[in-house]
Amino acid sequence: MLSMMSSSRKSGAAFLVGLLLTMQGFFVVTFLVANAPLEKTMGAVQKIFYFHVPCAWLLMLSTFACAGGSLAYLFRGSERGDRLALSSAELGVLFGLCVMVTGPLWARAAWGVFWTWDVRLTSSLLLWLMLIAYGLARRYGGEGGRRLAAALALFAAADVPLVYLSVNVWRGLHPNTKTVSSLAPGMRWPFFLSLAIFSALWGVLLVLRMRVERTQARLVELAITVEDAEGRSP
Amino acid sequence: MTYVALAYGFIWGAVFTYVALIGRRVARIDGEIEDLRQRLKPGA
Repeated sequence: MLSMMSSSRKSGAAFLVGLLLTMQGFFVVTFLVANAPLEKTMGAVQKIFYFHVPCAWLLMLSTFACAGGSLAYLFRGSERGDRLALSSAELGVLFGLCVMVTGPLWARAAWGVFWTWDVRLTSSLLLWLMLIAYGLARRYGGEGGRRLAAALALFAAADVPLVYLSVNVWRGLHPNTKTVSSLAPGMRWPFFLSLAIFSALWGVLLVLRMRVERTQARLVELAITVEDAEGRSP
Repeated sequence: MTYVALAYGFIWGAVFTYVALIGRRVARIDGEIEDLRQRLKPGA
């Protein structure tokens, strides 16, 4: 019981750190985006780039983390791996949602349409839907739901290289992978700093989410023990 | 500029909502632990 209370206190502290980092990230990235130089052809709307790309990176990173955790769960029965998979899939859905909203807003200004079935857009949408399917399989998949979801995570990870390389192979409307390396020097540091802040935020949210999941699992075990003890007592 | 503000607002709105949902889950777990503690008290 004492270890449970300590674990809960740690979750509370981790939550406060998460909240503070989120608020700090909000202010710093706002400052960066506001002060970044204007791009000549697109103007202000190009500033979506400073948070659209970090979110896309986190969608892919979350998918790989989810697949790594799923592998550990499938082949070693690792509960920690399972918690990593669940937590990163949730973050993948969150940052994927951000990609799916900010991308079309940028596309409307740059291409004149919110959506086009370009390979990069379509493969990204599929990746995001696979992470949602992962969550649904876990929630409603019954007894074998966790294993089914873990297998699904491996398919999602196989889609990541396709998403990344699609712009170079099929050359649709979406800018290719050389865009970041060809950024003007004034745009480079706000972009990489924004990327670092979003990545740090992802890391803190992942640790926090995994900790909550662990405490929840321990709590369920303890509740069963207490109920058993109460059932046995006269 | 409207699109930038919309996109930016959406991202941070989503992140803050997620953090708030985790906070709610932490609070619920604390409540359940307190409930178990009461049940484990001698004479309860």
